[in-house]
Formats: sequence, C-alpha cells, structure tokens
Amino acid sequence: MRMRTVHTIFMKEMKDTLRDRRTLIFMIAVPIVAIPILMMGLSSLMVSQIEKVQEEKSVVVIQGMGNLPPDLKDILVSAEEISAKSETEFGGGDVQEQLKAGAIDALVVIPEYFSQAIESESTTEIEIYYDEAEFSSEFALGKVRDLLSEYSDRVVETRLVLREMSQDVINPFDVSSYNVAPTQKVAGEKIGGFLPYIVIIMCFMGAMYPAIDLAAGEKERGTLETLLVSPASRGEFVMGKYFVILVTGIVAALLSMASLTFSLNYMAGEMTKLATQALAIEFDFTTVILILMIVLPLAGIFAATLLSLSIFARSFKEAQSYITALNMLILFPAVISLLPGIELDYGLSLIPVVNVTLIIKQAIGGEINWNYVVVAFVSTNFLAAITLFFAKKWFEKESVLFRM
Amino acid sequence: MIEARELCKTFKDKKRGEVKAVDSVSFFCKAGEVFGLLGPNGAGKTTTLRMLSTALKPTSGTATISGIDVAENPAKVRSQIGFLSGNTGLYGRLTAREMVSYFGKLYGMSRQDIEDRSKKLFDMLEMNDFADARNDKLSTGMKQKVSIARSVVHDPPVMVFDEPTTGLDVMSSRTIVEFIHQCRNDGKCVIFSTHIMSEAMRLCNRVGIIHQGRLYAEGTPQELLEKTSTGSLEDAFIKIVEE
Repeated sequence: MRMRTVHTIFMKEMKDTLRDRRTLIFMIAVPIVAIPILMMGLSSLMVSQIEKVQEEKSVVVIQGMGNLPPDLKDILVSAEEISAKSETEFGGGDVQEQLKAGAIDALVVIPEYFSQAIESESTTEIEIYYDEAEFSSEFALGKVRDLLSEYSDRVVETRLVLREMSQDVINPFDVSSYNVAPTQKVAGEKIGGFLPYIVIIMCFMGAMYPAIDLAAGEKERGTLETLLVSPASRGEFVMGKYFVILVTGIVAALLSMASLTFSLNYMAGEMTKLATQALAIEFDFTTVILILMIVLPLAGIFAATLLSLSIFARSFKEAQSYITALNMLILFPAVISLLPGIELDYGLSLIPVVNVTLIIKQAIGGEINWNYVVVAFVSTNFLAAITLFFAKKWFEKESVLFRM
Repeated sequence: MIEARELCKTFKDKKRGEVKAVDSVSFFCKAGEVFGLLGPNGAGKTTTLRMLSTALKPTSGTATISGIDVAENPAKVRSQIGFLSGNTGLYGRLTAREMVSYFGKLYGMSRQDIEDRSKKLFDMLEMNDFADARNDKLSTGMKQKVSIARSVVHDPPVMVFDEPTTGLDVMSSRTIVEFIHQCRNDGKCVIFSTHIMSEAMRLCNRVGIIHQGRLYAEGTPQELLEKTSTGSLEDAFIKIVEE
C-alpha cells in the first residue's frame, strides 16, 4: 500500500464529499443548527407549559359542599390556587363524566355528616377523583390534598390543646434525608443517557451519505470500473474512502457533542427556573479525552460497516435500504443507555454502542471506572479492525464488485 | 500488443450453477490495429474485456498486454491501458480538470506532466470552454469528451473500448468513432466490443465473432464476408453462429 495513492484518493473523495449538499446537512447543519434549535425550543416549550399549568386555577367541584364545616369550606373556597365550586354552582350534569371530559380538574366528594364526624372525633373519609393521564388534573389533586392536610393538622392541633397535650405526643421523631450526590451525578443520571444516544446517531448519520456515495455511488455512476483498471490497488481505494467516511462521522459526532453540551446546559438553566435541582453538565479535560477515545473507534466500526454495505449494494437506493436496517440495529443498543438502572459491567463493556453510551453516561455523572473503559476501548478497536479488514476483502471480491 | 490465449471465465450463479461466460477465447491485436469483438448482448464481450483490463481474473488461460501477463502483474498492465465504456460516468461534483488530474495522479504522473497533458488534451478535444465547470452541468457530448480525456491522460499504448457508443446520441457517438480512428493513427493498439455490425465494418481492421462465450470466427471483415459468401457482416454473423 502506497501512502501517496491513499492520500490522492482521500483528497479527491473529501473534495467531492464536501461539495455534496446532503453530506453537509448531516455532518454540519444538523449538529450545529438543528439540534440546539430543537432542544432549546423543546425545553422552552416544556417550561412554559409547566408554568402555565401551575399558574392556572384548577377547577375543583365539591360534591356535598353543605356537609363541610364552615372553616374548611372557607379554606377551600378562598384558596387562590383552586376555584372550588359546588355542584349547583358548576351547573349540574354528570360531574364524573365532566371530569373524564376534562372540564373539571378534580372532583371532591364530602360524605354526609362529615362535620358531625369531625366534631365527635370519629374518623371519616373524603374522596378525590382525578384523571392521572391529565397533567392539570394531577396538579389539582396535589393542591386539594395540601389544603385538606393543612386543615387536618389544624384539627389535630385543637384536639391536642383541648387535652392539654404537646404536639410531640403524635410526633415521636423527625426523619430528615440529605442528598449526597453532586449535581453532576444527578445530571448524568437524568440526561446523561440522552447525550451519547444523540452523539452516536449523529456519528452514524454523518458518515452515512458519504459511505453510500463513495461505493454504491461509484457503481451507479459507472465510475467503479475506471477505478478498478487504474493502477491504484483495491486496498488503497478502501483506505482512501474509509478515512473520508471516518472523518465525516467523527466531525458530525464532535459537533453534535459540542452543541448538545451547550443546549443541555441551556435546558438545565431553564429547568432551574422551576426550582428543581440545577443540572449543570460540565466537561473537564479528562471527560473529553475519554469520550473521544471511545467514540473514535466506534466511528471506525461505523465507517467500515457502512463502506462494506455500500460496496455490496448494486445501487444508491439499495445501499440506502441496507443502511436504514443497520440504523435500527444501532438505535436499539443506544436506547439501552436511556433505560434507568442499567449499570456498566465487564459483559456490557464488550458490546459496541452499549459500552460507549454507558461510559459517556457515567463520565457525565463524574464517575469513571477506567477498567471498563480499557475493556471497551480494546474491544471496540478490535471490532473496528475486523470490520475494516472485512471491507477490504469485500472490495477485492469480483462477485461483490460486479454483483448482478 | 494484446494477446489472449484460451481465456476462460466461469461465474457461480445461484439458479443456474456454474456459468461459462467466456470459453477458451484466443486472439491477438497489434499496435496500430483496431480489433473488434462482435456479438449480441450476453455473448461474453464485456467479460473478455474486463479480463484484459484486469478488472476480473481469468478462471483459466492467459492474456498479455505489451508482453505483461494480466494475472501476474495486473498493476503494470493497468498502466498500459486506457479504458472507456458506454456506461462510464463522471464525478458530477468535480470539474473536467479535477477529474483528469485525479486519474493522472492515480497513474503516478507528476504535477507538471498532468498539467502539460491536460492542456494538450483540452486543446485537442476543444474542451477549454468547459474544463472548469462541474461535470453534472455539462451536455452529453461534453461529458463524453471528459470521459475520453480521462481515459488517455496517461497516454497508454493500448486502448480498451467496451460498447463505447451504446446509449449515446449521434453526435456523441461520432466523437467516439473519430477518437478511435485517432488512436489507431497514433499507433495505439485498440480493442473494442460492439453489437452494431456497421460500426465494426467501418472501424475494424479485424473482427472476432463471439457468441455464448465462444469465439466462432476471426479475420478481416472482408475475409469473413468471403468465407461465408454473404454481402454484409450481419448475414455473415448469423451464418457463422448457425453453423
């Protein structure tokens, strides 16, 4: 193999590829334009939706309003976060049906003799009906529960005072819990699975079009034969083309990683407005090196596999359908990293794609187990070498090149 | 310059088992001569030419180009031949100049040589007006000229044309036919395949009649007409194959 020839082929294919609009879209436009717009748009929308639901007064219908003791009735009716109405005030009709239809957020049923039961200190029950499939209904349930338990606390307090007993009687001890996880780890668990998923898909997508164009495209254009009768060897063509596909895949992966970090941090900022935990993702130098170290050989596997499929295909279209099938095959293990509770072990670190996603997830969480990283690195590289070797063999087979 | 001896090629086909695409084909072609392989579609013409140009390996038999064995030293053989077929396409996003230069580099030419050769070819083929436009913007005739320039960038002594005029319009075919004449006048050894008898009659010094992978007859067009006592190459072809 002559490096000069490989370089000639690489330069030509790179020039050709960079003039292809489809490649540029997947390699550059999607990672740096589409991803941030999508993610930021999505998070802004989500935040504004949640805020809207929180601010909106929940419509709560109270069946048997007259059974309430006056002070509790006051609490419910004057509460700002809900608009409590009796059945008649609401306008009648089947309230259960109205709740299902979404006209009511929650239905509260007060039993007859409720006030008497409170007074006589015998226990009784309030029923709340809600629709778990509706965001606003779940919110209403929470609000009503809060109001009711506030009242319940007050009743207990009065009863204790009457008996000249201290609050402590019913509260023997407090339980306090403290979160020791750094915010980084929380981030890793919550959105860490999402990032490698997108990075891997983008790496694949970025390499897809050049791969189709560089092999199946040669067959379709009728240029393959002219290459085969030129003095460059088939191995040199494989290497030249392989490096172009590899580079586009890596560029797409790096760009999408950078833009994801940026937009996830933006999202985290938005989420903080909702007074949940801050989810800052910060990459230190080690994390970046680590992610590069395991994404690069994965891009190598992608490039060689895509090239093999593409040279096997008789036409552009055929290559596209093979690659769509392969895409499914990659999506599946990538989804695994999104599942909660999946932990990296030696077995999983041997499986390509799965190992990469789980390691990135851990790394974002600030935990790196280098033993697994080494196993994953070695196995991914090994597979990359095998697939490249296979691509070369494939390129030398007459039955593949001139497939009828 | 070209010599084929007992060339055979068998393909494995799932449905039909082993298929003999080319069966013991022997012929030769000297410098300054045009040899035509004449036969219907599927006769084995393309397979024969692919073996000569080292794209396919012969199952048995040998062929030499300028005395070099195609099986023993394919890389050396490739530098001796220029290849052009009717379905040969171009890289649409490259210009003629880039395309010619790419192939020049693949043939190991120096930058200066490529530049000189491009200038000469572009002048000769009257391509200067569109040498820097992207190939997919060119007309069919212009594209054909780019293909020609690409095939001879390394000035090979042997030219292989596989059905060069198939699918081309009248003007583009004419460009190719003139180019084949030019090659012969330049003293190159030219082999080409066609299923158009009139084209063979006009261009070839000698023809070989190939059918179902076998070479049935070989000689000058005149000899074949006399041998079969027919008036046209077409009739001669039918008669030879039927016998």
